Amino acid sequence: MAKTNRRDVLRYGAAGAVTAATAVVAGQELASADPPPGLDGVTSQVPGLKDTLDGLKAPLDPRDFDEIFKGKKIRGLHGLRGRNELMINNRRLALTEIETLFVPADGSPPYVGTGWISALNHYDPVEVDTRRNREGLRKLARKVVDVLGDSELAPSAAQEHGH
Amino acid sequence: MAVRKSISAMSGAEKTAFINALRQLKTTAVNGRNYNWYIDQHVTFFSRTADNISHAHQAPSFFPWHREYLRLLEIDLQTVSGNTDIFIPYWDWTGGASPFTADFLGSITNGSVSSGNFSPAWGWSLYRSSIQTPFLQRRVGQNASRPSAATVSAVQSWQVYDQSPWNSTVSNSYRNRNEIELHNRVHNYVGGHMATREAPNDPAFWLHHCNIDRLWWLWQTSRGIDTYQPRTGFTSGVIDNDETMRPFAAGRTPSAVRDINSLGYSYA
Repeated sequence: MAKTNRRDVLRYGAAGAVTAATAVVAGQELASADPPPGLDGVTSQVPGLKDTLDGLKAPLDPRDFDEIFKGKKIRGLHGLRGRNELMINNRRLALTEIETLFVPADGSPPYVGTGWISALNHYDPVEVDTRRNREGLRKLARKVVDVLGDSELAPSAAQEHGH
Repeated sequence: MAVRKSISAMSGAEKTAFINALRQLKTTAVNGRNYNWYIDQHVTFFSRTADNISHAHQAPSFFPWHREYLRLLEIDLQTVSGNTDIFIPYWDWTGGASPFTADFLGSITNGSVSSGNFSPAWGWSLYRSSIQTPFLQRRVGQNASRPSAATVSAVQSWQVYDQSPWNSTVSNSYRNRNEIELHNRVHNYVGGHMATREAPNDPAFWLHHCNIDRLWWLWQTSRGIDTYQPRTGFTSGVIDNDETMRPFAAGRTPSAVRDINSLGYSYA
């Protein structure tokens, strides 16, 4: 099993960790007649698994969120390597980072910044950073919920594309 | 020779002919293309291609790529309907005429187009939608306002066609100012599917881009028809004046589409 870290578990969901745990449980059952261990027994045998499970409990970045907006569950994770992640009702929305000119609607001077777009806000990049736009990913999630209305993301929204 | 009129100047018969031809092209291929081919090309060429070239957006070829794209659709609509008078109308969004009426693109502007023109019952189906729904979505005016005539005038006054680094960050660039301040804004003004990568699902796409093409043509008639940048050369990552724009046929370069008089249409 490849090395798992907290970020990977967060990125790909807990399925990987559960698979690891199941494999250990199955192995135990085959190896001995002892009753299968509980989760604590499993975590002690998979290097790093306890950390990953602990990581699921606490946000890695103070800007991360997992909440309900207009009846939809929105979950945002701020990536360590400039990769942000967004899930809407547990469906993934692929995000693409672009450098772009911003022309504020209030008439203030244009400036160049880093914006995030997706299949659903393709012409409306949203800035995400740790300072002035620290709420950017939440703003993007809410914007997409507004585009979706009563509908859900289709699978094609999870497809990556480069710009 | 197609004369592209404003939606405000169209007769009822012209509106009906246009939307019926779109519906026909949804289910009938002509010249090797059907309506969904256009959606495929928009999705594919929005991204950079394997050679790292940006063909359709955030690049100098934004204008000529869409000019060729609209020209092909106009030909296909004429072919599929057998009506050579069909033209793509333009929507001057600064004016009072709206395309969202019961006799044209459908009157629902807040959510699902579940009845009337461009509903499934009328015969319109979605393709490659990133929103899981059978209904075309519109949210007119909810996320952005439309550009004013003053904004259009300010954008039209930029004198440099485009310049390095040839992307969405260039400030002194007519192409980029138009793409961001007018083109992007109207996509966001209509909202719903027009805000998405697969925006041509909404026929408003063609009316909007026809107006963008008209504004570029007006700019060309004032600044020079042969003003595309970059000129012939080896500028990496962008389409030069004499480079074929994909997915179009060999020879369909920015230079080849610079003069609409040679492309078989004009603006009224």
